Formats: sequence, C-alpha cells, structure tokens
Amino acid sequence: MNTEQPPITLSIDNRTVTAARGATILEAARAHGIEIPTLCYLAGLSPHGGCRMCIVEVEGVRTFPTACTTPVEEGMIVRTRTAQIEAMRRDILQLFLTEHTSSCLVCDEKAECKEFMPTIRKSGVTTGCRYCPKDTLCELQAVAESMGIDRIDHPIYYRNLRVETEDPFYDRDYNLCILCGRCVRMCQEVRTANVLAYKNRGRNTIIGPAFHRTHMAGGCEFCGACVAVCPTGALREKARAWEGKPDREETTTCSFCGVGCQLRLLVKDDRVIGSLPADDPVVNQGQLCVKGRFCNTELVSGYRRLRNPYARYGSIPTEISWDQATALMAEQLATCPPEEFALLASTNCCTEDLYVAQKFARVVMRSHQVDTTARIFYGPAFDPYLRLLGRSVPLSALSAAEVILAVGLDSRFGRSVVGVALRRTLKQGIRLITVNPHRHSYSLLAQIWLQPPSGGEAGLLRSLLDRVQPAAAAPAGASAAGRDSDLGEAARLLRESKRTVIMIGSEFMQCDGAAEILAILTELADATGAGFMPLPAQNNLVGSLTAGAYPEALPGGVPLDDDAHRRLAEQIWGVPLAPAAGSWNAWQLWAGQRSRVLYLLGELPPTPAVPADFLVFQNIYPPEPYCTADLVLPAAAATESDGTFINGEGRVQLVRRAVPPPGNALPDWEILCRIARRMGAAGFAFTSAEEIRAEMGRFSDAYRREADLARRDPRPFHWGGRMADTRPGGRAETAAGPAARETYRLTVSAVEHSHRGFPLSVWVEGSRMLLTEGMLEINPDDAAAAGIAPGDPVTVVCGDAEMTWPAKLHRDQPPGTLHAALRECACIRPNPQTVSIRKAHV
Amino acid sequence: MNPPDTPTAGAGTDPPDYQELFRQFKGQEGELISILVRVQETFGYISEESVRQISQFLRLSENQIFGVASFFSKFRFDEPGRKSIKVCMGTACHVHGGGFLSDTLGWQLGITVGQSTKDKRFDFQRVNCLGCCALAPVVQINEKIHARTMVTQLKEILQNRE
Ligand code: SF4
Ligand code: SF4
Ligand code: SF4
Ligand code: FES
Ligand code: FES
Repeated sequence: MNTEQPPITLSIDNRTVTAARGATILEAARAHGIEIPTLCYLAGLSPHGGCRMCIVEVEGVRTFPTACTTPVEEGMIVRTRTAQIEAMRRDILQLFLTEHTSSCLVCDEKAECKEFMPTIRKSGVTTGCRYCPKDTLCELQAVAESMGIDRIDHPIYYRNLRVETEDPFYDRDYNLCILCGRCVRMCQEVRTANVLAYKNRGRNTIIGPAFHRTHMAGGCEFCGACVAVCPTGALREKARAWEGKPDREETTTCSFCGVGCQLRLLVKDDRVIGSLPADDPVVNQGQLCVKGRFCNTELVSGYRRLRNPYARYGSIPTEISWDQATALMAEQLATCPPEEFALLASTNCCTEDLYVAQKFARVVMRSHQVDTTARIFYGPAFDPYLRLLGRSVPLSALSAAEVILAVGLDSRFGRSVVGVALRRTLKQGIRLITVNPHRHSYSLLAQIWLQPPSGGEAGLLRSLLDRVQPAAAAPAGASAAGRDSDLGEAARLLRESKRTVIMIGSEFMQCDGAAEILAILTELADATGAGFMPLPAQNNLVGSLTAGAYPEALPGGVPLDDDAHRRLAEQIWGVPLAPAAGSWNAWQLWAGQRSRVLYLLGELPPTPAVPADFLVFQNIYPPEPYCTADLVLPAAAATESDGTFINGEGRVQLVRRAVPPPGNALPDWEILCRIARRMGAAGFAFTSAEEIRAEMGRFSDAYRREADLARRDPRPFHWGGRMADTRPGGRAETAAGPAARETYRLTVSAVEHSHRGFPLSVWVEGSRMLLTEGMLEINPDDAAAAGIAPGDPVTVVCGDAEMTWPAKLHRDQPPGTLHAALRECACIRPNPQTVSIRKAHV
Repeated sequence: MNPPDTPTAGAGTDPPDYQELFRQFKGQEGELISILVRVQETFGYISEESVRQISQFLRLSENQIFGVASFFSKFRFDEPGRKSIKVCMGTACHVHGGGFLSDTLGWQLGITVGQSTKDKRFDFQRVNCLGCCALAPVVQINEKIHARTMVTQLKEILQNRE
C-alpha cells in the first residue's frame, strides 16, 4: 500500500535504520535485531500500551513513549537501553510482581536450588518447587530474568482470588494475571467471540465474562485462543498444565470435521501433549475450534487405548499376537460367502485406509458390501447432499461474498473456525441471513434471522424461494412462518446479490424434510447463482467417496454401474469384479440383517446385539460397553499414521505421523493388508501410504500428480451416481398431529462430534459439558410446568415406543419443542414427531 | 414488593418495558452509556435481564456491556435494598475509623460494598465525605445521619432502623 511512500530513516541506539511509514518503533527495532522487552505486545493484535515494558527514550520528547504504540518519524533518535530506562523498567516490573505470586523468580534458595535440581537417585524425584504450570514457558519470568530481578522492593499485595476451575479444558488463576489484555484482544478482535472483557476498575480490574458467569455461561467457544497467548500462567490448559516444554512440533490435519484445519501437534517423549493452530493461510488462518484445540490431545492419549489384538475364547478376552489374529481372520473369512460379508467403515479414516478397505472387500471377498456411517448420518438427504458437494466453493469465497445465507448452522463448538471467518466478513459489511429455529451463534450478528418453527425449515425456504424467483407472481404461501417483512427483505437481498454463498450446517440434516430442504436450496442457488459451502461434519466424507468405500461407488467416486470404470478397476486389480451389488447398504445392518462376518473399521455397531456371527472390531479404544467383539484389532489414531483427508471444499490434505502408535497398534490399511496377504490375495503389498496413493492415482484425478497434492486448489467432488435410501421404518409425519396441550414436537439429531464411532464425550472429559448427547433438551418454562428439574429422567412417549433420557433445561429451546442428540440412527422414526412426556418413575 | 421508601429505587412495580425505554435510541453502539443510565434510572439498578435486553438491542455481547458498565462506579448491579446504608470514607471519617466501620458492617450484613442483603432490607455503599466532617465517623441510613458512630453501636442502629 505504502510502496510509493519512501521509507523513514531514524536512529535507534545509534544505529541508522529504515522503516516503513506507519510502523512502530518496536517493529522497526525488532526488524533490525534490536530487542526491546515487551509483555502486552503481540503481533496480530492491536497495540495496547498497557504494560509499559517497552518504554524508550526519544530525543526531544519529555515523557517515555511506549515503543509498541509509537509510530516512527523521520529523523527520530531513539534510545532503548539507557540506565534510566532500564531502572524504570525494573521498577515497573517489580510493581507487577507485588501482585504476582513470584516464588519462581524471587527465592533465597534460588541459586542452590538450580544447582541441586538434578539428583542421582534410584527413582525419579522432583526437587525444587513448581508452583506455576507456565514455569520455564512464562514470558514474565523470561523478562524478569533477563533484567536480573531477584528481589522486590515494594510491599507485597496479593489479590487472593479464587482459582476458577469450573469450566472445561482450561483453568484460570487471575492471581497470576498481569492485565496485559492479550486474551481480551484475542477474544474480541481476532475471534470476535466477545467473551472476555475487563471488568471493574483500578485495583479491582479482572478479566472475564459478564457478572460472575462461568465461561460456559458467557458464551465461550473454548477455542483456547486466549490460553495460547497468555504470557503468564493465569490461563492454563487442564490437560497440558504440568507438561512443560514440548520436544518438537508436527504439522498435520485435524480429523474432527470437514473444515480440515491445520494443526501443530506438540510432542514430548513421543506423546502428543497438545495441539495449537498452524498458521495456515488458506484453511484455518491460525484458528481452531474446541475439538481440534483440546479434544484431539485427550482423545489420542487416553490410557485405555488399545495396544494389542485380542480375541474372545468363550467369554474370556485373551491377548493374541498379530500372527494369531490374522490367522483367525483368514479362517473366518475363508468360509464367508460374499453376500454375508459386511464392512462398515468410518469417514474419520484416511482415504488410503478406506481405499484399502474397499479393495479388500471387492478383491479378497468379491463383495461390494462396504459402506460408511455417513449414509446413516445424512439419512434421506445423503444423495442430495453429495450432489451439493459438486457445487461447493472454497472457504475463501466467504470474504468475496455479498450475501451469505446460513441454514441450520451454529458454530459455537463445531466449526468455530468458519464462524470466525464469517464474523470477520461481517465486519466488511457483508449481509448475513440465517435460517434456524433456535437461538444460535449468529442470532445477534445476522441482519435477518428467519426463525421457522422446528421442522418448518422447508416451508420457510419455499416461501423465500417463491419471493426470490422473478417469475413468482404473488407470494402464495402466506401461512409461511417468520415475519413477512423479514422474508421479503431477505428475498430482496438474495435477488440483488451477485455473489451469494449458502452455508449448510447439520442442524436439520436428520429431519425427514432434509432432502426437500436441500432441493429447495439447490433451486435457490440456481436462481441466484449462489455457491455452496456444505461443511460436512465428517472430516473425510469426500475422501470416502474418492476411495470408493460405498456399494454404489468405485474408487475415483465413479458409480459402480459405469462399465468403463469397472473395466479399469478390473484391469488395475487384476481380478473380475463381482456383479452389481444388489440392494445391500448400511441400512440393512440397522434393520437387523444378519451377516456372517461384520468388519467394523473404526465404527461402533448399530445395536449392542450385533447381527453377526463373527464381529471384528478395529479401533483405537475397546468396544465395551457398546458391544462385545469376537476379535479386537488395535488401530493407530490419526496422529500416528500417514495419509490424506479430503475436506469439504475438495482439498487434499496431508495427515502426518507425529508419534508411534501405542503398543502393537498398526495403521488401518496395514492391518487390512496383513489379513489380505494371509489369505493369499495379490495386490496388498503396500508398505506406505504413498504407495497406496500412487495406486489411487490411477483411478482418480484427485490423487494424480502427487507432488503438489497439498498445495493444489480444492476440486469440488462431483457425484454422478445415486445413493440408495433404503431407510427402514417411518417416514415423515403427514400432518402435525392434534395440537394437544401435553404434546411436544421432538426432533432428534445424530451427534456430529464423534470420532471413529465414539461420541467425543466418551473419551474426552471436558466435552461432556459441552457436547452432550442422550439428553432431552427442554425449555425451562415447559419443564417447570411439567415439574421437571435438570437431570430428571423423562420418558418420551411416541406411539408405542418409549424412551427415557435425563432432562437438560435450555433457554434456547423454543417452548413446545424437545430435542435430543443421539449417537446415531436418530432417523429411523419420523423426525420431527409429536410426542408426549412424563416424569419417569424413579 | 419494593416499597418506594428507598431513595435510589425509582423503579415502580410495573413490569419492565424495555421496548418503551429503547424507543428513544437508534440502536447504535455509541449510545450504550446513555442507555445504561436510563436503565438505572428506570429500574434502580442494572439487572442481568437488562444487560440481556440491551445486548439484543445494540447487538453487543453481554460481556462487553458489563465490562463497560462495571467500569463506572455509578452503575450498580444489585437490586437496591429498602434502606440504603452509606459509610463515609472521606478524610475525616477515614481517620476516625470509617474503614473499620465499613468492614464491620459488611460482616454483620454478610455482604460487601455495592451489594444488598438477601432479604433486600439493606444495601451498603461507601461514599466520600458527606459534608459533616465534624461528626466523623459518619454512617448515613437513608436520609438520617448517625454521628460519631462506634462499631459497638452498629448492631443497635441497624435494629432500630428495621
Ligand atoms: S476460549 Fe476462545 S471464545 Fe473462549 S474466552 Fe478464550 S478466546 Fe474467547
Ligand atoms: S489472563 Fe493472561 S493474557 Fe489475559 S490479561 Fe491476564 S496475563 Fe494477560
Ligand atoms: S473446525 Fe473442524 S477441522 Fe477445524 S479444528 Fe474444529 S473440528 Fe478440526
Ligand atoms: S509491550 Fe508496549 S506497553 Fe506492553
Ligand atoms: S469525611 Fe466523613 S463527612 Fe466528611
């Protein structure tokens, strides 16, 4: 921008330096290797000028300006290290330390302590005190040590504040806070979550959400961005608090959703101790959501991770070797007819794993009976949803849009990275229209919030479409929900916008109307030229299609009935393919169809009483209590194997092995290859994920030209086939039943925060507060009327079926409606449906 | 519920009508302070509900609003009590033990400065100089000045004022 303007020349510490116009003294100094101590300054945040560590002397200026806020001027003469300034800095720092418990800095025994810390004893002992989790990582400590502060000349005045531990994932000890305001600026300027603010004034200033609220109640997204920038131990991760310095970092792709954020895994002693956002310019831009930031570490390092294969002899689980395990598998599979074999895979696996899995089914078992749970998650909307992927636009399209229409999207916990990007664009004046029956994370931000009754999204979108289409004479659907003026205004915005993006969340995805909603949105996109951002909940949905892990699809994502592609597959694999698949798909498992061998690749079975003679369970955690498996195979987690994911945009992303898997666990593809080789099959001699990619490249453009895979522009995935929807059980309710007083509209949804079949809350403690499942959400007023207290078991009666869940009171649940998030397969019954409730007998 | 006997409580018993109150404003961020002042005038204090309503009106987060409001000592966040106790902390009273009085009162009422008791009988504030330094230390309850108050008298004064 300032290229025409000549740079400024000034002198810092007797050196003549040049700096761009508008740069601060601090930036100019640092660019030339001149160090000025700072505490509150952080690149990327607005300058604050609060800590006054960076004061400098400028000739002709009477006061001592702070280098981080003062812009350079032509001919300025700056001194950063005079005796006077250093004395003042020391004094200021000591004032900080009068409030800050500082045993790590000032201790009579410090010198001796350091010397004798390493001791020779038989067992490891801790010598020396460690009061603060940031010890050795603390910036305050570093600055104090660099100034050689070893005593405090002012009276000590500790604040004696309670340490706040009630929120998940991180604790807060504001006794250690130096009010540098980095966390506040992070939360307000970068994340625009506006949870943190300065409260009160003067000595009583403290940081936090309104009133005495917890962060949970204050609307925190638990993105951990504030924790990462805190220079002291005031904000600390629960899980990483006492780990100290990591040995190394490894960049990889997050495996929790289709955004595909780039992570920096912190590794110590071959363990993942934490993850931070990578400063990736295209996808997450240095941001993460709670799942990538906190859940990842806890999930992959649980002590119950599977380490060895085991089989059940009678009812006794017995650890066995890989050799025994593959032998057992081979024996079972040898006698299994193709139509009685079933492989259910997880869309959390790498594309390479899924490719080998389907090749295993098709080549070794001569069966097309391989499927993923994505089909179950999306229910009737699966096929239309896959079609939308072909029209998906990259995330960067957000900032170029004029109008954004977000349907059923709430990004507080899941995909909050997209929320950050969206809020940033709103600051540029982009218009946001949201469609959501509930209060959601954009309620305050959206120009227009169209609020349909729950289950009424389709009707509302239809009337929106009617108003958008120029052909529409008179808007017919006058009964449509939502205020008419809003609807008209939204239609006008959409009509006039040249660049519209439609973002699709998964809130309505399990409703029976989902397919219709997607159809209407497609028409809307046709009418307005909008692009889609489908934001799949599964991190590798596109990869699973590209790998061909469906009965209807071959590798490359080409329909099975494409004869040329079949021949290509036969030629590459050197075996004739079985004839078309018949009607088998994952729904058959949910309907209770029996298989001889059911191979669960990173999945849980549909029901605890699994309809299979021989159940193989390959995962990172044991199957209990969800089911008992005949053979359990320990797999490597996403941080422990190489591979690739393809995110919702169609971007191929590298997954890197940061640490070795625990015990004898192996990557999914390697386990499959070992079994295949044991059964004498050819074509399974892969020794690395790269070799698998090379073979996939013969099927699919997505994997051709290996060298620039990760650097390439995203390519939307085009699905040209048809995914059968053979859902058993109910269809949409025809009429919204009699509106009796005691009846409620119940919507159920599948948990999208699951990994390899397990809801995150099973293995990640903190997520139990955030991402609840199996709870009945009810409006507090409704609950009060029915005499229900939080946590009370409530029985929901729908027709002949009854289910009991604990109640969760939720102010944002509209009156007269209920919601439950369930592990999977919420959609067998009509959804939404009319139910009645009563308190369960206790 | 709130007998209009308290000096600070301009609030009647009418249900809060925020729409009415917000009508004079345009909904711009810069109006926050004026809105807070109006809310406090109307309801006597700034409640969680007020903050929620303002947040929806101005489209600012509740946390930011509270942050701004709590910076100013004139805003209060607790419902005022029926009797308002002011302990003087001006120079004269301070020298004569105003701080001691204030600490003791807090103890006896079980609240800290700026709060009101659970039963809403008293609220408790510290002020700077009530203009009668000769009577120091001074405690004021509603309009009545209690001169040369000693810690040992506090209990009795409170009882008499109920
Ligand atoms: S975790 Fe994120 S949303 Fe929560 S307070 Fe910190 S920066 Fe704000
Ligand atoms: S909590 Fe940490 S980042 Fe926030 S103001 Fe205090 S020291 Fe700074
Ligand atoms: S938004 Fe998705 S990809 Fe990014 S950190 Fe969260 S779960 Fe991972
Ligand atoms: S770094 Fe400049 S004032 Fe804090
Ligand atoms: S100092 Fe208390 S009345 Fe003046």
